[in-house]
Amino acid sequence: MSNKNSSRRKFITKSALAAFATMLGSKIVFGENMPEGVAPIGLEDIGSGDVVPGKSKELIVLGNQPWNAETPPHLLDDEITPADLFFVRNNGLPPEKFDLEKWTLTIDGESANQSKTFTLKELYTTFKHYTYNITIECAGNGRAEFNPSASGQQWQLGAVGCCKWTGVRLKDVLNAVGVKNDAVYIGYYGADLHLSKDPTKVVISRGVSIKKAMEDETLLAWGMNDTTIPIMNGYPLRLVCGGWPASVSGKWLTRISVRNKVHDGEKMLGQAYRMPKYPVQPGAIVPDEDFEIIESLPIKSLITYPKTGALVTKGNSLVVKGHAWAGDLSVSAVHVSIDFGVTWKLCELSDAVNRFAWQRFTSKIELPEKGYYEIWARATDSNGKSQPMVIPGWNPKGYLNNACHRIAVKQM
Amino acid sequence: MKELNEQDKATMEIAKLRSRIGKIILLFVVILAIKQVSPNNFFSWQNDFVSQNIAVVLDEQFVYEPIFFDSLDIKDGLHIPSGMIADTGVAEVVQNCGACHSLDLVKQNKATREGWKEKIVWMQQTQKLWDLGMQEDIILTYLAKNYGPENSGRRKNLENIEWYRL
Repeated sequence: MSNKNSSRRKFITKSALAAFATMLGSKIVFGENMPEGVAPIGLEDIGSGDVVPGKSKELIVLGNQPWNAETPPHLLDDEITPADLFFVRNNGLPPEKFDLEKWTLTIDGESANQSKTFTLKELYTTFKHYTYNITIECAGNGRAEFNPSASGQQWQLGAVGCCKWTGVRLKDVLNAVGVKNDAVYIGYYGADLHLSKDPTKVVISRGVSIKKAMEDETLLAWGMNDTTIPIMNGYPLRLVCGGWPASVSGKWLTRISVRNKVHDGEKMLGQAYRMPKYPVQPGAIVPDEDFEIIESLPIKSLITYPKTGALVTKGNSLVVKGHAWAGDLSVSAVHVSIDFGVTWKLCELSDAVNRFAWQRFTSKIELPEKGYYEIWARATDSNGKSQPMVIPGWNPKGYLNNACHRIAVKQM
Repeated sequence: MKELNEQDKATMEIAKLRSRIGKIILLFVVILAIKQVSPNNFFSWQNDFVSQNIAVVLDEQFVYEPIFFDSLDIKDGLHIPSGMIADTGVAEVVQNCGACHSLDLVKQNKATREGWKEKIVWMQQTQKLWDLGMQEDIILTYLAKNYGPENSGRRKNLENIEWYRL
């Protein structure tokens, strides 16, 4: 990253850190690495330009109103995705003013014993802190490959990342408030603004089953990679809920309702984040009642090294690296092929550092002769399900494309 | 005296005619001004390259005619200020669609006329999109023609590879 804004960044960093330190106690370390270009007090014009504020210019920008940008696969090689490379999927406009002393989270709903509001400081000082590496992926990642084209943001490969998230367990907070036996679901609300600029319109309000909400790794997070969360990714507080579509991990979090039925907020109903209950023919029109909510995402992997397009000299072996992840499950194996799936080679595979962290695979391959090759990676989950080599089941909204990743290489 | 009066009358008739023409021109200007500040196209940057067709405003039948856009803005078949394919209807798409969301969202999608119509209806029902009126037809025609479906098969070849020495 360039340093053209470094003096202003320093100023912003100091004030953000100071605000957090004052608010949340002296132990706090996050806040010191606020990325270049991020102004937490609304100094940025967030509705224009071709570089996402606070993000690397290497991101592939899909749109700027709302901001949506994905990471080229070769920039996802780190074990922990750097904050400025982590993808952005916004449905509305992020808040522009952040008063950390006044920012609160309210827990309410039919199945909450009471309505209770916490300041950030109360969350920080009342509950035990946890840190996990958690993979977050947009359910529409890979949508661009569906045929016929499915409507929505045309994500290619990089609407995914694995960051180090710090916060408190949602279950600790819910238990402190008290949850009734009839609780079915939680639904979140955030402080983002609808594109129509109508403040009464909810941008997105999704959630998860109470069982998922009560998992150890479901966090109310204020920290990402040992610093604050980038504004575009939900500063100062967001839900982090691994394995399910990223849209359940609500950003700029202000409220969580404990529901006695499946949450019916914005983008929970109709066809949003839903798949047909049965396989459908490409291009089929599917009635709303035949859709069901997407929960755990399917097995998937990305080749993060080398970058596609590598020209390799004869006689040199090639190390292939990447990550694999499997929704609520774990990855049991990854194979690579250099002959369009005719033969497959088993890769070395590391264990996840914790549940929902992606797993590293590596393999050393030899290209037998001069020519054009594609390296394909294919992961298998702990239930024995693998990635398809062609595009999986077409669906009207273009979700869950987990076809194996391919890169092109040539031996000279 | 009588002849002078005749002359005066003729002069007055001409003056009246001029006045009428002036009023009509004034009316055009007022209508144009109202159109320029109406909610659908209040974005001043759009007015830089969009010029309204006066004939549309005057036609009592109100047959919709497309908004002109400046041909200087076209390069390699693209309307440069918006990055969209330059074709009849691009100005209407820029004005209406670009008012709320990034035009990149339009550019990256592909659909039939029916598919685009569905998206418009969805936005009207849930996202506060207004009635597109007479502009809807030209918008749908533009989108279906320039951002229509393509058959990419079950999986495309890898494309746009930038080769580099590893």
